[in-house]
Amino acid sequence: MQATNLPREDCDRSMEEYPEELRTPPISLVSLVGCPEHHSTISKFLHSEQPPINTLALPDFSKISIFSRKLKDPLDAGGHPPGGILKRDWLLKHRTRIPAVAAALFSAEQVTGDPAQWQQVCTDLDNIKVVRGRNMKFVVVLVQKNASDDLSEDHVNALRKRAELDSKHVIVFLQNDATELRQSLKRLAGLFAELCNTYYRDEGRRIKIRMERKNVGHAELIIRYCYKARSFCFSLFVPPFSFECQVAAYAEFRRDWIEALRYYEDAYNTNLEIIGITRRLPAMQRLTEIKAVAEQLHFKLSTLLLQGGKVTEAVAWFQKHVKNYKKLVGAPEVTFLHWEWFSRQYLVFAELLERNAEAIPDSHPSQVASSECCLIEWELQPAYYYGVLTFLTIICSLSDAEYARFVIAEGQRFQDLYEIIALFRRSSESFNSLHALRTAAYGNQRMAREYFSAGDWRNAKQLLEGVADLYRREGWVTLLWEALGYLRECSRNLGSLKDFVHCSIEMAALPIFSDSRLEAPDVKREYGPAGPPTLSQRETIQQEIFSVCKGHISDQSIELIKADDQPLILDIDLVSPLRMAFLTSVTFHNQTIKPGETTYITVSILSQLPHPVEIDQLEIQFNQSNCNFKIVSGEQEFYVVPKPETRDVRIESTPSLIVTNNNWLRMAFEIGSELLALWYTYILHGLGQSGKLECMSVIVMIGRHLTLCCRAESPASLEGLPLWKFENVMENFPTKDPVLSFSGQKYIQVEEPDPLVDLTLSAPSPALVGENFIVPVFVVSKGHAIHSAELKINLVDARGGGMLMSPRDTESFSLDSHHVELLSVSGVNDDSSTSSDDIRKIQQSFGVVSVPFIDIGQAWSCQLTIKWNSPKSIMLYVSLGYVPVPTETNFLRVNVHRSLQIEGKIPFTIAHRFMMPFRREPLLLTKIKASTPADQKMQLPVDETSILIVSARNCSEIPLRLISVSIEPGDNPVAECSCTIMQSGSASTGPVVIVPGEEFKQVFAVIPQVDSPNLDIGEILVKWVRVSDLKQNENSVVITKQFLPRVFVEKPLLVASLDCPAHAVLGVPFSFFVKVQNKTSLLQEIKYSVGDSQSFVFTGPHSNSSFILPKSELVISYKLVPVASGLQNLPSVSLISVRYSTRMDPSLAATAVFVYPADPRFHFGKNSKLLSASGELENLDFKLVQGVSD
Amino acid sequence: MIVCVAVVGHQNNPLYLQSFTEADDALKLHHIVHCSLDVIEERVNNPKKSGPTLNETFLGLLYPTENYKVYGYLTNTKVKFILVTTDLEVRDADVRSFFRRFHAAYVDAVSNPFHVPGKKINSKTFAARVSSIVKTFGSGAA
Repeated sequence: MQATNLPREDCDRSMEEYPEELRTPPISLVSLVGCPEHHSTISKFLHSEQPPINTLALPDFSKISIFSRKLKDPLDAGGHPPGGILKRDWLLKHRTRIPAVAAALFSAEQVTGDPAQWQQVCTDLDNIKVVRGRNMKFVVVLVQKNASDDLSEDHVNALRKRAELDSKHVIVFLQNDATELRQSLKRLAGLFAELCNTYYRDEGRRIKIRMERKNVGHAELIIRYCYKARSFCFSLFVPPFSFECQVAAYAEFRRDWIEALRYYEDAYNTNLEIIGITRRLPAMQRLTEIKAVAEQLHFKLSTLLLQGGKVTEAVAWFQKHVKNYKKLVGAPEVTFLHWEWFSRQYLVFAELLERNAEAIPDSHPSQVASSECCLIEWELQPAYYYGVLTFLTIICSLSDAEYARFVIAEGQRFQDLYEIIALFRRSSESFNSLHALRTAAYGNQRMAREYFSAGDWRNAKQLLEGVADLYRREGWVTLLWEALGYLRECSRNLGSLKDFVHCSIEMAALPIFSDSRLEAPDVKREYGPAGPPTLSQRETIQQEIFSVCKGHISDQSIELIKADDQPLILDIDLVSPLRMAFLTSVTFHNQTIKPGETTYITVSILSQLPHPVEIDQLEIQFNQSNCNFKIVSGEQEFYVVPKPETRDVRIESTPSLIVTNNNWLRMAFEIGSELLALWYTYILHGLGQSGKLECMSVIVMIGRHLTLCCRAESPASLEGLPLWKFENVMENFPTKDPVLSFSGQKYIQVEEPDPLVDLTLSAPSPALVGENFIVPVFVVSKGHAIHSAELKINLVDARGGGMLMSPRDTESFSLDSHHVELLSVSGVNDDSSTSSDDIRKIQQSFGVVSVPFIDIGQAWSCQLTIKWNSPKSIMLYVSLGYVPVPTETNFLRVNVHRSLQIEGKIPFTIAHRFMMPFRREPLLLTKIKASTPADQKMQLPVDETSILIVSARNCSEIPLRLISVSIEPGDNPVAECSCTIMQSGSASTGPVVIVPGEEFKQVFAVIPQVDSPNLDIGEILVKWVRVSDLKQNENSVVITKQFLPRVFVEKPLLVASLDCPAHAVLGVPFSFFVKVQNKTSLLQEIKYSVGDSQSFVFTGPHSNSSFILPKSELVISYKLVPVASGLQNLPSVSLISVRYSTRMDPSLAATAVFVYPADPRFHFGKNSKLLSASGELENLDFKLVQGVSD
Repeated sequence: MIVCVAVVGHQNNPLYLQSFTEADDALKLHHIVHCSLDVIEERVNNPKKSGPTLNETFLGLLYPTENYKVYGYLTNTKVKFILVTTDLEVRDADVRSFFRRFHAAYVDAVSNPFHVPGKKINSKTFAARVSSIVKTFGSGAA
């Protein structure tokens, strides 16, 4: 094993150490003599046969004597004790020197030639016959050039007789023709194979018989013969060896695997039995010999079994083998020999398994499952054996004392080391490929230990780091402790202070897997250089490492501290194992802060180090470096090295900076004064209106050398320590306030400062549609001077939807599409609108105006004029943006927002009604037709007076002063001349206050002058003011308009009117006329009738009919005498126009008349005159109409 | 003789490990128990190979090392029990019986209201009970 640098190859060779004949199945051997020119052809052909046959070619017959020059057959040795168990080269001999068949080649010329040649042939045959005494089979081959050559039967017979052979053992070999040659070769090969088989079987049988016949006093012989027998089935181990062995070997030669197997098993068992029986050799050698034999036999067995695909049996055999020989250690001085041998068993078996891998794992699951010996799958994997093997190798190699006794040189020790490492590596690789990571890691760990003991720190460290990572992940602290112990020593030896400190701190902070036995002394070897994982050991490590960091140099660590004493910086991030030692949590007590305010920050440190740790200085770092601050212990005078970059870092002091085991060290500090500066920084960098202040890290300084840069963690997202979470330790909170412990964050939102400005909106009352509604805006500075401010006004539909214009509504309000409009903003400095920086943009629902500079304490106001076009509820948003401090940029802007909801209401609901004059009834053609109800237009008679009553009801919540109600012709100029509208009654008495809910009525006389089906009369104008506004502003008169619907004007056909006095006096007769005017140019016939009345007696026709000439009038007169007083109905008159078949009945109201019991007297003030009841009825018409309609 | 018993949590972290050997090979037992997790993992991930042990808590012989035999047991909560013995001939029934009693002891231990699930088992009662179970191992007492 020289390949110290190539461990893989080194290992691969272990099986190769076995001789070829042992590793491969035996091959039959045939000897060719004579005619050397054909030997190569025949050899080649035989070798390519299946199974192959080896040839031993002898050019001429003189060499044949080598077969005869053999030792006396040991089988004949009888009672002599054998010299050993197996003969070393027995098998080789049968493979290379002792053929099963000898073939003599003679050319046809030799046989048929002259007598001298024949003589020679005879001599050669005689020589061979001597050799044949060995039971060797013999064949004569006659080489013929071609089939036509004359080779007489006599010649062949003569030759056969001379050679004493059966005729079938004399064959003819044709050499020239290609097909003939091939046939000849095949024939030859067939014959050879048959003879070989016979030979080996005979040999095997011979040995078997001998085994049975002879005294079997020498067990060794039995083994040998078994071996032979099986090998003949093939191999040969000659002298003092067991029969069984030989029989088995012969069987193997014959490729009779089952028999071979049986004999090998016998041989193996016999070999096992002779342990302790045989006294042939000195004990030590004897054992070695037995083991060597067992090894070979077992190897053969395994090979045969594995090649036969019997993996399970092979493994079972191996287990048996191991069990048998494991305890045969032998003399104590040579223990290593045993372990070497023993480990070789594993190695060889593993390699065998690997070679036959395709036959192994998954292909025979059923076999495994059904196996009675309960094999584990793993035992079918080579990796398992490598694993065990490495362990065995260690047993042997680490026993230095034994080695010393045998003067094992250091170099050899090294070789062993690399062998072990190579085996470990192989084992690890195999396990890795099986995804058995833990087992692979164990191999790596042991490999690292070998490297460690060899002083190869780098390799050891590299391996251990991977191993430690696995243990760390799964929380196997004891194993981690061991790995770290090695790592620590590696780092120490490599001079890597950083790694050394890292490992030490981690070890000191490791939890201990409690096992009371660990405290036992003298466990150094088991636990590696770190000793057992105990609390005291942790404390020792911590003390050592911190004394190093504080500059106290101990003997052990002296080489670590370099002269340049560079400070050591360790980063502790979220996945670092050193979180156990220093877990830092930072919480702001508030979630948001505004510049100028202050809040508190709690810095907490948790350590699992067993001893209290005294921290010299803490530095809290934020994402804004000007917020950074340092914390020093109050009791300690800590020198701060003034560095140029550390301008003026705030230094806080705290009573104590000592972190005790598993106890949060909590410190709260005020923070805030720097935040305004931070905020400015953000704004100046254009990062937005607010910023986030986040604590990045907490830097722990211990001594002059050690700086730990810990990533700050929020308590809300604080993850437990991975290794300590399985421990039963008290858990306490990083902050005193438990709420903060669950929700606290390491960052705080810095918001813009509160505005120190009052912005007030006030709306006096609900807005009324049509008026210019004024909303005063007041801006009062209360601590901020207002620079370059602007006021933004926004009108938004209160019901949502944003814009005050919906698509549906735009149709009906096409002219003024906005329901609500912002008309203007009037400020105190309206006149300054010329200045260049003044912003003034007014749109219907949006406006921006600039606000002048307002100093602290001053006020400013403006008025928004908003007009409602329809009743809507809106939200008025007003925001004031200003800069409290004059800067060059405009980023530093403070905004104040106010909003106000304003209802828009309709002031008056305007209604109107058309009527005919009292007791006058025109007959209109359209009415007679009573056409489609869809056309609901009002019909008016042309040139007749119609009455229009307009009513305005105050539907708002405030009293309004109504100035006038009028009807204007509107935009249509035709309307003016087509219709006369007169306001009836006296002129307006001036503004009237209409309280909410009150209704105001105005009567108009409408006389259409044009006969038109679609006459535009005009629109109603209601002028009003708010009661409060009247005195202040005459301009505030609001005109509410409403269009009158168009009317249908047509000529009346007939007009019927009743004519009677306004009142009557009981018993006094009066006249009653019914007048019918014919407005048409046709003769009209009227039928009329008058019903009786209890209140009146009358004269005149009860019913009659008469004709009315065109454009003339029919007057029917009655004389009535009232007989009852009070409001009485006149006798009912019924008129029927015959032409139109229409009844024209006056309404009941029109026939009512009041009957006084006596002639009444009326007084109307000073200037009044007595109105007699019979006077001037005409003039009273309108008033009466009014009264009636109420 | 049982040399070691262990309880391994569902994150493959050790919850309890007790060795019963005078030799100072406690660490090696840690390694053996840890390595046996590989076998358990393979068994659990490839239930086909396990054949009859499907849906059974007892995992049987995990693997024999050079000196030990390792047996495994997997509870429904994915807690593993591991037994390391030096006996070469172990009766299957003995191991099953051992694990059954061990499981009972474990259930009692973690039912303690003061025990936090998933943490190490430090109960002295549990340790004592385990010791007694270990002592009677193989004696036929079930």
